Amino acid sequence: MMRSIPGAGLTCAVLSILIVLVAAPLATIAIDTFGSPAWAEVLNSRLSRNLFWKPLGTTLLLGTGVAFGCVLIGGFLAWLVTMTDVPFRRSIGFMATLPFMIPSFATALAWGTLFRNSRAGGSTGLLEGLGLGVPDWLAWGLVPTTLVLIAHYYALAFTVISASLSSVNGDLVEAAQMSGASRRRILFGIILPVVMPAMLAGGSLAFAGAVSNFAAPALLGLPVRMQTLSTRLFGMIEIGQTERGYILAFLLILVSALFLGAGNRILSGRRSFATITGKGTRNKPQALGAARIPLCALALAICFVTTVLPIVLLVSASFAPMSSALFSDWTLHFWVGAADPAFARGQAGVFRNPQLMTALWMTLGLGACVALTATVIGLLAAVALNGRRIPVLTELTAQLGFLPMLLPGIAFGAAYIALYGAPIGPFPALYGTPLLLGLALTAATLPFAVQTGRATVAQISGDVEEAARMTGAGFFRRLGAITLPLARRGMIAGGLLTFVSVIGDLAIVVLLYTPSTPVLSVLSYRYASDGFHQFANAVTILILVLSVAATLIARRTR
Amino acid sequence: MRAALPLIALLATPAFAQDLDTLDASSLRPLAEAEGSVTVYAFTSRIARVEAAFEAAYPDIDMVTFDMSSTEQIARIRSEAEAGIAGADVVYISDAPVVLGDLLAAGHIAPYVPPRVAELVPEALKQPLLAQRLSTKVLMYNEESYPEGAPVDSLWDLTRPEWAGKVIMVDPLQRGDYLDLMTEIMLRDDEMAAAYATEFGEPLPESTQAGQRFIEDLFANDLVLVGSTDDVNAAIGAKGQEAAPIGFTSYSDRRDNEDEGWALQVANEVAPANGIVFPALLAVNPNSAHPAAARLAMDFMMGDDSDTGGPAFAPFYVAGDWATRTDIAPHPDAIPLAEFNGWTIDAAKTAEIRAEVADLILTLQ
Repeated sequence: MMRSIPGAGLTCAVLSILIVLVAAPLATIAIDTFGSPAWAEVLNSRLSRNLFWKPLGTTLLLGTGVAFGCVLIGGFLAWLVTMTDVPFRRSIGFMATLPFMIPSFATALAWGTLFRNSRAGGSTGLLEGLGLGVPDWLAWGLVPTTLVLIAHYYALAFTVISASLSSVNGDLVEAAQMSGASRRRILFGIILPVVMPAMLAGGSLAFAGAVSNFAAPALLGLPVRMQTLSTRLFGMIEIGQTERGYILAFLLILVSALFLGAGNRILSGRRSFATITGKGTRNKPQALGAARIPLCALALAICFVTTVLPIVLLVSASFAPMSSALFSDWTLHFWVGAADPAFARGQAGVFRNPQLMTALWMTLGLGACVALTATVIGLLAAVALNGRRIPVLTELTAQLGFLPMLLPGIAFGAAYIALYGAPIGPFPALYGTPLLLGLALTAATLPFAVQTGRATVAQISGDVEEAARMTGAGFFRRLGAITLPLARRGMIAGGLLTFVSVIGDLAIVVLLYTPSTPVLSVLSYRYASDGFHQFANAVTILILVLSVAATLIARRTR
Repeated sequence: MRAALPLIALLATPAFAQDLDTLDASSLRPLAEAEGSVTVYAFTSRIARVEAAFEAAYPDIDMVTFDMSSTEQIARIRSEAEAGIAGADVVYISDAPVVLGDLLAAGHIAPYVPPRVAELVPEALKQPLLAQRLSTKVLMYNEESYPEGAPVDSLWDLTRPEWAGKVIMVDPLQRGDYLDLMTEIMLRDDEMAAAYATEFGEPLPESTQAGQRFIEDLFANDLVLVGSTDDVNAAIGAKGQEAAPIGFTSYSDRRDNEDEGWALQVANEVAPANGIVFPALLAVNPNSAHPAAARLAMDFMMGDDSDTGGPAFAPFYVAGDWATRTDIAPHPDAIPLAEFNGWTIDAAKTAEIRAEVADLILTLQ
């Protein structure tokens, strides 16, 4: 049976992992809302317009805008860094990966520092301070939210696309050049089609990230009463209407799945992405000529606005006693100060918090384990999805591998406690163990691993595999000798994304952590929710430093 | 599964726990020491200071504290109960309407009143759960911007054109406390109607519900919604504003004025009231593995017998929070509760129409 359909065994294995990690916890909350009257309230009542339809429209606009913006900017930077002779390539390449590590609320706050107008009171931004009137549409609502989320998520598209571009076979480009093809012809005829899977993957990740992001629309949208499905469903859970919240989550998943399903179809409809044959030469940088300096300036400007600025604000906010005067009276108290009843309500610096070190190691351990596990599962899923299509099973695997991206973290956390918190048969309860956090985080970050895996594996030529199969190499042999080495770049990129999103994740761990399993993001959140912003920012910077360190290490190992 | 839980909880409650309810701290202590530890879920970071004080007083009992919002606690307690885990021994939580209507009704948490303080807390504040202190969501203004005092004397002022786009509040559909505030305004129909007549010199039409009308007018007057109480504080409180906005936030946040460079002040002379006063509740877990330690911890958190409640209560002895114990002296810098112009919420009544109010607000957004 297994032999009659090649790849069926692998697909089934991957599918069962996905069922345990993703489908089972989801089914637990699905059963909760089945047949509930809340369905009618959400879809067809006097409430549905504000509860569902309007936020849905906003969400889709936001997701589409962010996806296009991210592919455009991320793709532009990726092309510049991997294919051309632009100056400062390494620095641009490094800075372009940072925005994803900066929490989106920091980017949103950075926007406010520049564009905030007097609508929400308090102190206004730099532009109004200079006497320039900032209209509401530029200070609040869909436009700034879209731009902020592009600034946050383009790093995803950049990472995926540049990994894929740097594995474009130099022979192809060279052959085209020798036969006299124009630059434009090479771009549209060779490079774009080749990186199509990566662009789709990057765009899908950005779309999914944008539609489930909470911080940016909450900070920038609320003052003009803009609601997205994620702010709506967060609110519903917050005020105790969990059923409506879960239903909104389901609808969000459904709509996004339809959107992204279309993307998948395009990807699986074409089969000519294979370019890594294992024998190609590295690509020669394309000379930009007169455009070299202007393009470099543009790239540096993008990096400055999306990377340097938010980081400067975040760092100064961890030193400044008053959030209204970020650059005065700096002190190290919030980092290392001893408790002083007269200052900061008696709170000692973060490095004096006994939990910090435990949280630091726990976070690192979780990040590394989850990145490794998710990458392996992602690679297997990618291989399975790239193999022969098996009706229903292949589609199911693809969908389940992407679903977690769309789930509100808090719902995911609740589902995990509900299902794996208590003992199941011979297996003990996982509540209070790092394993529960690890499982939930693995499930939640699978989309990164699967998407980057697919983008890379889709490029690997079937010929090499076929040749190996003919010479009698088994599955694991082929995986180890061909797929792994050829997909290495993409896998490292995917693993890095996973690591970064694990150590920065709050939404999922917030329900699952216990004092024996503290993590940095929860520590930061607890400081913030009690109004200790400087302390929260200090911990956030720690997370950022870990992410940057991981990026540097990942670059070295490439 | 869910329906069966209260029953299981009832059956699982040993008669033993009933007896524990009558013991005083000195009799609880040896039992608690034998149990060794107690876990507290609390909705405030101040719990860390309670932990230090508790472990100083009872060095043989390890207090483990979790600081998380009431919403998280509710989600966690519910999930834990369904998974058959007793995560917390003691729960310290606000969001009374959901806590009473959901957690208590389902038997996930249980009431306990330490015998020592039973006579010292008014009946309404120990039924159905014991309140340890009272907190607020009330109208605050910028005292630098308005040195003559509050710029409004009635809630209805907020619906006038001069306050269009200048009233700030956290989205009631994102934070339960603010939904409770809106619900209370709906419940106080008569008072709202009387205040309307005083403010505008003519009564509302017969059939109009004053509370609902107020909420509709407030939203129609370009009410500005933000995501968190701190956003409200910064918007209202930031110094150097010519005509600062006004809005609803916590009275006790005034204690951050100096740290943050704010000029927050409470508007107390407001008809018919300036907002709501709500309880911070204490409860035990009926399935706790540390029932004696849980009760001892609650006894401790109610404060000692000194005027200020001693080290156990010190973190909560701040202007803008009021102890529920009548023998603890009001904070010298704060308006005493008796003179404070806020409505004390009735959790049961709030819970009844809270969902309806949420739906009303949903249609107004």
